[in-house]
Amino acid sequence: MTKQNREDNKDLQLQSPEKGADDKLDLGFQYLSNALRLSFIALKLIMIALVILFLASGFRTVGPDEEALVLRLGKIRGVGEERILGPGAHWVFPYPIDEIVKIPVEKKVNLAINSFWYYQTGQEIVSGTKRQVPPTQPLNPVRDGYCITRSEKQSAEIAGVDGSDYNIVHSKWQLTYQIVDSESFFRNVYVGDIKPGQDYFDVITRSINPLLKAVFDDAVVTAMVHYSIDEALSSQDRIPNHVKKLMQQKLAEQMNSGIEVVSVQLTDITWPRQVDLAFQAFITASNDKEERISKARTYTENTLNAAAGPVARELFAALHDETVREQEKDLLWSRAAGAAQATIARARAYATKVVEDAEADAEYLNKILPEYRQRPELVIQKIHRDAVVHVLEKADKKIMIQRTEGEGGREVWIRVGED
Amino acid sequence: MKNITITIFIILIVVILCLYFASFQVRETESALVTTFGKPKRVITEPGWYFKWPAPIQQVYKFDSRMRVYEANLGETTTKEAVPIIVNTYVVWRIAEPLQFFNANERGSVSEAERKLLSHISDTQNRIIGQHNFGEFVNSDSTKIKFEDIEREMRDDLNINQNIKGRYGVEVKTVGIKQLKISEDVSKDVFARMIADRDRKTEATKSEGEAEAISIKSDANSIKIEILAAATARAKAIQAEGDAQAAKSYKLLEADPPFAIFLQNIEAIKATLEKNSVIVLSADAYPFSLLREIPVLVPRDPNESK
Repeated sequence: MTKQNREDNKDLQLQSPEKGADDKLDLGFQYLSNALRLSFIALKLIMIALVILFLASGFRTVGPDEEALVLRLGKIRGVGEERILGPGAHWVFPYPIDEIVKIPVEKKVNLAINSFWYYQTGQEIVSGTKRQVPPTQPLNPVRDGYCITRSEKQSAEIAGVDGSDYNIVHSKWQLTYQIVDSESFFRNVYVGDIKPGQDYFDVITRSINPLLKAVFDDAVVTAMVHYSIDEALSSQDRIPNHVKKLMQQKLAEQMNSGIEVVSVQLTDITWPRQVDLAFQAFITASNDKEERISKARTYTENTLNAAAGPVARELFAALHDETVREQEKDLLWSRAAGAAQATIARARAYATKVVEDAEADAEYLNKILPEYRQRPELVIQKIHRDAVVHVLEKADKKIMIQRTEGEGGREVWIRVGED
Repeated sequence: MKNITITIFIILIVVILCLYFASFQVRETESALVTTFGKPKRVITEPGWYFKWPAPIQQVYKFDSRMRVYEANLGETTTKEAVPIIVNTYVVWRIAEPLQFFNANERGSVSEAERKLLSHISDTQNRIIGQHNFGEFVNSDSTKIKFEDIEREMRDDLNINQNIKGRYGVEVKTVGIKQLKISEDVSKDVFARMIADRDRKTEATKSEGEAEAISIKSDANSIKIEILAAATARAKAIQAEGDAQAAKSYKLLEADPPFAIFLQNIEAIKATLEKNSVIVLSADAYPFSLLREIPVLVPRDPNESK
């Protein structure tokens, strides 16, 4: 290029002496010649600039969350891993030889799916109210969205039908997806043409969302018929995982779309408004049941604690278990509290006392026996007197009666030692 | 020199123009059909760079061969046992045979192809669903549900029986049912049944709660009774042991039984009148008898006692 430039300059220099000769002949012609020469230079500069621009247009940057494929004359360039350009600056031949196709691989896209929710007016959506609807108001198949769930096993038995009874449930979902295989995606999934001024990511998203919505709806419908309404209402992850699996199967196996489902979330699920009262009543009943049971459990805890303390259950089990050794049972009894412990403690106290009393009696007899044998009367008198004194001392009230002799005699009561 | 430059430049432009009019690219995502004077001549399915005669002689039609989704409208159909259901079917399709596609649809129009596809979809949908019972869509027994099989059958029906590839050059990758609904009248019946079902469950839950609470409580009571009975038995055993041990000491009392009994009686009186007692005694009784009269005491001869 520079060589050509120099040659062009030489041409210009060759022209200049001629021009000096012409100067005298025609001043106007010289002006014209000058103007032509200048415009010729300008034209050349523009052309050089265009060539440089043309080559520079081959520089492309691939963003951190993108991958790119290069189409050389329409065909994907490279072999194996070389086919895919990672983030960074790349040079490709300018159009029409090479064409770079960017695919947003690391971008997760969220898609809210409301096609299984009942129809709500704009006002209802904004205010978030749930309108009361009588059971006689049908669901409009065009306007209202819903899923069909299978019936309960036992109710099918009761109804005596072939198990094809079903329920209706409304749900809202959120899908997150991501392109993972840029080549499969590019080859297989239709994306609209990117017009100037449009963001390619928006165009891709807009092009594939209908496909994903359709596949997602399909997966939800297919999954839901496998669950009963109670399972659907209480399922944490089971149904979303099922939906995810079905969807992934279609996207990967049947379509080889290069799109991966990142996550499926069940954001809301409810029974139809038409049956709201019955379901609310059921919830109340369920709560009552829980409460009753928990109260009964509390009663059990208290009762058992009062009976034998924390070891009550263990103790009870040990009583019924032949294999538990006596030693272990004794250990359990020793740890028992409450009424059982009190009963046993009382018995222990009694036993101790009985033994001690007996021993004390024996000892006392032994001690006093020699004295008694010598002076039986005195000893008995002494013991008797001591006893009477002891008893009278301890008595709260002491009453002495003097009865006069004979019939019709009177009694005289004397209170002794009263405060 | 100048002339050479200009010549090269002109040749370059001519070459570029020739290439522009006489060659074309087929992208990785496309297939193409070359027509000579309007007649299909060449089908290209491999991407790359191809030559052709310039415009009026040969023309190139390109078809995007990537998958597109097409949704049929919501439609009512009946199952084998004449249960009406409302389904919304979608297909994922692509242009597989450029020649057939070009011939069947006016200059390869996608929207026309979709219009034609629609009648086949509803045909397939009605026929395949008509071969299955409602119980194969929804069933309390999961193994009886044939949902995915039905979708697959529909796809195969379109591709094979209806031969849409041969007719329109279109291949269906997936057929899916994206809505499964019931008519308005049926929905009312379903609500009535759901309410009845739920009411029955509510009743069942109530009685279950009561029964369970009672059984929990009675379990607790029986455990308590049993433990206390065991404790009492144990207590008796301990008492008996104490009594037995005490009995050993009673042997020592055999030295003088009447005296021992006397002592025990005294102890018994002391113990029983220990507290809160009111004692009523005759004035004749000891020791108050001393208040009435002085006993007659005669000192003994100290020698006599010996």
